[in-house]
Amino acid sequence: MTMRTFPVADPGDPDIRSAGRYLTWLAVRSRRTILMGILWASVWMVAQALMPAAVGRAIDAIEARDEQGLLAWSGALLGIAVLIGFTGTMRHRNAVANFLDGAFRTIQLVTRHASRLGAALQRRIASGEVVGVGTSDVDAIGSTLDITARGCASIVTLAVVAVVLLNMSVPLGLLVLIGVPLLMGLVSLLLRPLHRRQNAYRDLQTGLADRAVDIASGLRVLRGIGGERTFGARYRRESQQLRVAGVRTARVESLLEAAQFLVPGFFVAFGSWLAARFALDGRLTVGQMVSFYGYAAFLTVPLSTLTEFADRVVRGLVAARRVTRVLALEPGVTDSAEPVAWPPPGDLVDRSSGLLVRPGVLLGIACEDPQDAPALADRLGRYEEADVLYADVPLADLALADVRTRILVGHHDAGLFAGPLRRELTPGDGGTGDLATAVEVACADDVIDALDQGLDTEIAARGREFSGGQVQRLRLVRLLLAEPQTLVLIEPTSAVDAHTEARIAARLAAHRRGSTTVVATTSPLVLDTMDEVAYVEDGKVMAVGSHRELLATEPRYAALVTRVDEDARDAQDAWGAQGDEGDEGEESA
Amino acid sequence: MSARELLPIAPAAEVGRHAVRLLRERRRDLILTVLFYALAAVAGLVAPRLLGVLIEKVRADSPTRTIDLLGLSIAGALLLQALLVRQAAVAAARLGEGLLAQVREEFVDRILDLPLSTVERAGSGDLLGRANRDVAAMSRAARRAVPSVLVAAVTIVLTFAGLLLLNPLLALPLLITLPLLIPITYWYLRRAPAGYLRENAAWAQVTDSLAETVEGARTVEALRLADRRRRRGDEDVAQAYAAERYTLWLRTIWFPSVDFGYMLPVVATTAFGGWAYLHGWATLGEVATAVLYVQLIIGPMDELLNWLDEVQISAASLARLLGVADVPSDREPTDAEPVDETLTVRDVRFAYAAGREVLHGIDLTIRPGERIAVVGPSGAGKSTLGRLLAGVNAPTSGSVSVGGVPLVGLPLDELRGRVALVTQEHHVFRGTLRDNLLLAREDASDDEVRGALRAVDADWVAALPAGVDTEVGPKGYELTAPQAQQLALARLVLADPHTLVLDEATSLIDPRAARHLERSLGAVISGRTVIAIAHRLYTAHDADRVAVVEDGRITELGSHRELIATSGAYAALWRSWHG
Repeated sequence: MTMRTFPVADPGDPDIRSAGRYLTWLAVRSRRTILMGILWASVWMVAQALMPAAVGRAIDAIEARDEQGLLAWSGALLGIAVLIGFTGTMRHRNAVANFLDGAFRTIQLVTRHASRLGAALQRRIASGEVVGVGTSDVDAIGSTLDITARGCASIVTLAVVAVVLLNMSVPLGLLVLIGVPLLMGLVSLLLRPLHRRQNAYRDLQTGLADRAVDIASGLRVLRGIGGERTFGARYRRESQQLRVAGVRTARVESLLEAAQFLVPGFFVAFGSWLAARFALDGRLTVGQMVSFYGYAAFLTVPLSTLTEFADRVVRGLVAARRVTRVLALEPGVTDSAEPVAWPPPGDLVDRSSGLLVRPGVLLGIACEDPQDAPALADRLGRYEEADVLYADVPLADLALADVRTRILVGHHDAGLFAGPLRRELTPGDGGTGDLATAVEVACADDVIDALDQGLDTEIAARGREFSGGQVQRLRLVRLLLAEPQTLVLIEPTSAVDAHTEARIAARLAAHRRGSTTVVATTSPLVLDTMDEVAYVEDGKVMAVGSHRELLATEPRYAALVTRVDEDARDAQDAWGAQGDEGDEGEESA
Repeated sequence: MSARELLPIAPAAEVGRHAVRLLRERRRDLILTVLFYALAAVAGLVAPRLLGVLIEKVRADSPTRTIDLLGLSIAGALLLQALLVRQAAVAAARLGEGLLAQVREEFVDRILDLPLSTVERAGSGDLLGRANRDVAAMSRAARRAVPSVLVAAVTIVLTFAGLLLLNPLLALPLLITLPLLIPITYWYLRRAPAGYLRENAAWAQVTDSLAETVEGARTVEALRLADRRRRRGDEDVAQAYAAERYTLWLRTIWFPSVDFGYMLPVVATTAFGGWAYLHGWATLGEVATAVLYVQLIIGPMDELLNWLDEVQISAASLARLLGVADVPSDREPTDAEPVDETLTVRDVRFAYAAGREVLHGIDLTIRPGERIAVVGPSGAGKSTLGRLLAGVNAPTSGSVSVGGVPLVGLPLDELRGRVALVTQEHHVFRGTLRDNLLLAREDASDDEVRGALRAVDADWVAALPAGVDTEVGPKGYELTAPQAQQLALARLVLADPHTLVLDEATSLIDPRAARHLERSLGAVISGRTVIAIAHRLYTAHDADRVAVVEDGRITELGSHRELIATSGAYAALWRSWHG
């Protein structure tokens, strides 16, 4: 068997019209290993089924004192043993190939689709649902393909055993062939209450695991303020609940386990007795009695495999439904069918707010309502359909790819991806900016210096090891490296200290001077470095001018950015400061 | 990919001792489990034995009554076996669940006792991994592996004993499989645990990367990272594929060998048994029983061998769970009682790692009730100073003391009652909002809880469906970062320590709201000593004294006015801030 190497260059174009079609599509992709898997598994399982027959013939030979026959049948047994070992491995290898093909292909498809969807993904579907595809659904889909081999082999084996048994004795054969599935069906009635308890157990288990993770990740908070005892007690209580639920589940599970002895046991006892009576009459040989015993015990293997087959197909379908739902998602904004060529530099105008971004100007936006800034940025960057013009051309008429390359919106909640820092700071197209310069502008040198291997350090997912201020500066480096025609930043310095903020503001202004740059912020340090500032209230531009002009002419703007308001007096009382009242006049001036 | 291992791992001997202790504490369940399984195994041996007898009776043309009786006895033995299996399974579950509960509860107790400085330094990666991965591995081990291995071992031993009782000669063929099974399994077990751990890690990476792509989908689009994310996903798949190939290779060698090894005794017993019958050393019934016995043993042998690698992996997990207890304590509590609440910092130097000093000689005396703002550039050592002031770390040299007693000399509970630290790191615990607040003071009344929320301007609580009893966290109402920070401060109000160290505690809150919050908070905690590390200058403006920290030293110290008058770094900053 040659297994396909993963990842494949092109995972193909899946049939996502329904869950069943998706699974079928996957099965067709790996049809060769699926067919080979069924073939090997059938030989493997039939060989196992024939063991009792060979043992029976050997016993007959012993009874007949036929040394030649004994040797021959022992040889046959040895052959079967080798065959089982070999075919068992071959069927396993094919089954693994089937599993991996289904799992990896699905992962590749979902990853490709998620990267293609971009911002729309987060709006259309809870991220947990997509992440769930990566954890449980992929596994369920792989398992469905995996079990095709053993599942089909079970059917083949049942047919073979039926023929052998009926040949041996019609009444005994019928007894087993009708009785075993019947009793197995009865046993499966236990499955429902079992699954219910297992699900309850799993929920409790997940809850408890979450609690432990919760405690571990919140430990620093607990250490700062106490509460360990409360949490210790709560954990202990839930842990004991889980223990009790586990024992309760085991009570049902143990019934099933006992049934696994009881069902074949019934046939072994009843069958052995019947076989013995037949043997007394001479209708059966002693060896056949022994084989009958073996068949009855063996039959549970293909039957329980069939049950498992059905179960996994059901799970696979549920998982495939989720996958097809993700794969069917469409991008949020539609690309223009006949895009206009990118016009020469012109004004970027958001008509709903009245914001005008002139080319080559550093524009500060101070929003009275903090919600306005990201909404405005989304419109400017065409993350949603809006009435926005660039050089008098509606953004919707321009190619989306052009908009993305030329207008870069830096979101404040954008994280970092895991990987070597240098690579993760570089935008997708490589960026035209100089890394050292960008690091200097963003004042991120100390962040990088503190890392063991500087820019070559592997960073953890979501930049977990960095503080909020550090992530913010690294994010700024990444945006600066892209050197877009128009850069839109939202509160780029909200998490850094005033000293650093002042430095970043000055360097950013110097660096982007002459390139269109929009910064939404309420920091006076940053606003002061901008060419002009727009003051936005209720989603509308109320005033435009330099920071200092607005400070002098727009009292509400001044109140917003210098944060000195009417209740300053309360503050003095509250903080109990010693006689700072006099400052107030000079501040509001 | 994996977090750095910053916490200790228990040595093998300790793991062994601990495992023995755990089992000894559940002696009753252990004995019951083994006993029931042993009885079940014995009952299981009866049926093949009776079949052998049946064969002999058939050959002797016994009356049908004997045959009927034997048939009934076989049924009885199998029924008994099923009943015993059921009892055994319940006992095993009680044993496994008990073991597991104890292991995880002790682990959580251990992490709750970790020294503050370790928690600060180690970050959460390693600890989270242990709480998540290792507890899950232990769960598989305690619930499945330990009982299965016990059952299998008991069954194998008893079946072999059954063979010896039946006819010692017929037990011999079983032994010929050992020279095959033992070396190949040894070979496999030396490689398998590492292989499967690598496989699990590779799959975890696949999941993580997909999660990153999904959560960062917006960034992927903005920065045109789609190709890179796709490549990254493909690389992860390649890693997982390589890991799968490796373990598949191990199984390709091991599986056929052990499968053949299980069946060899069947062949050998049949041939050898037949030969023994021909020489009159065994009856035909005995041969038939022996052949059935060696078939009966295949299942348990397979169970035993298959769980061995899982047992190895879980031993490694147990070592990591126990290792947490080996973190040395960083506190040397004394009986000394502080005489007052004055915080005194004397010539404090501090280095996280030898040779990399971050604080170079700090002197500062903070009067009870005073409000100090600490400002300065990033990396100047402000947060480190905050940690020393809260007693999280001990200074490398010099001293930080309250009322004459070094902070690290105070017992933890005592320290907490005096100094509390709130950083910009916030965490919302699973549970209700009330749960989240009560951890600061378990016995706080409804009014106190509401008062604390009012003090931090958390008006949004009133709008929640169930008020303070609303479930929060990932499964309930998701708090925004500013709301989480308000929650952290409300806890502080309830804890009501004498000294508060606030390290950027309002940095995530909208600037104007933050100032309002600090004021209303100030009203509640008036009379308390507050050390506020802040990047917003109004905090400094509102404080009694401002300490400017640069390069690990306090370069300016005085009231806002004094510092403005001296025209130093602070004054320059203030002016640029004010325009």
